[in-house]
Amino acid sequence: MLAQIVLFDGFDPLDVIAPYEVLCAGSDVIGGELEVRLVGIDAAGPVTSGTRGLRLQAEEVLRPEEPGVVIVPGASGPIEGDPDEVATIPVLLARIAGTSLPGLIERAFAAPDVLVATVCGGSLALAMAGLIEGRTAVTHRLGNDVLHAAGVHVVEARVVDDGDLVTSGGVTSGLDLALHLLDRQYGPRIAHAIERLFEYERRGTVWHASGRAPIAA
Amino acid sequence: MTNVLAGTWAVTMRTPIGSIEAEMHFALNEGGFSGTATGKGETVPLHDITAVMIDTGERVTWTQTITKPMRLHLTFDVLVDGDRMEGHSRAGRLPRSTVTGRRI
Repeated sequence: MLAQIVLFDGFDPLDVIAPYEVLCAGSDVIGGELEVRLVGIDAAGPVTSGTRGLRLQAEEVLRPEEPGVVIVPGASGPIEGDPDEVATIPVLLARIAGTSLPGLIERAFAAPDVLVATVCGGSLALAMAGLIEGRTAVTHRLGNDVLHAAGVHVVEARVVDDGDLVTSGGVTSGLDLALHLLDRQYGPRIAHAIERLFEYERRGTVWHASGRAPIAA
Repeated sequence: MTNVLAGTWAVTMRTPIGSIEAEMHFALNEGGFSGTATGKGETVPLHDITAVMIDTGERVTWTQTITKPMRLHLTFDVLVDGDRMEGHSRAGRLPRSTVTGRRI
């Protein structure tokens, strides 16, 4: 199984590195059968994040049909400002719609054994591109209203598991996302071992549409 | 319902990812108003158009769904006064944003 974390111009470094390290550590404790790669949209090579020009290297190009998980991070950049003047985070995320990523993610959704997961604004980028209308998801708390405006059912949980779409909240929730993916794929002992190693325990309940629904108060 | 609204309007609206401009076309038919909005790269229908005369002009509301530059479901509420329209649009839970238009 392959985990591919997508790099694009302006990505948030922690959105990428948190799941990268958790999944790599998880791979180590199952004998290496999970491959983890940073991938580019159109080309391998260095990609510049949105934080002080920090760069990470895309090892290869995203292969959307490869069984496993494709993780889309969010962007980092200015939060405040007139979007006509400043490339705020929503503006950066909207630019992704103009790249070949939406088409690749569409193929990932269509592939039988591929999960699409997002950290922070990654779900917002997919929503802006019209890829997750009617799905249940979450993004950074500052973006949940925009996510809702794009036609997504927003659930304010740290991780929302909607089948082949698993989304998580702001920045650090990438840790919780990756631990949930390990748990879902390999079981709680693997996730627990990595929690111990990282001295980090997941927060809150992973939301998914099973069991009983609460009666509205 | 009057014919004040019918015609073509150049409309500017603000969204979380910046201002967008569109050309709105309203037509008065037997069953009421119909309309379309043409923006960057797409033309979408206007739904649920209502127009009511009030003291200061004609109050017009409608909804539309755009996909470019991003997927948004927008609800409009504007006042048409002669060749100008002014009001706001709203997308989901986002704060309402200003809409201005002029007849072309």
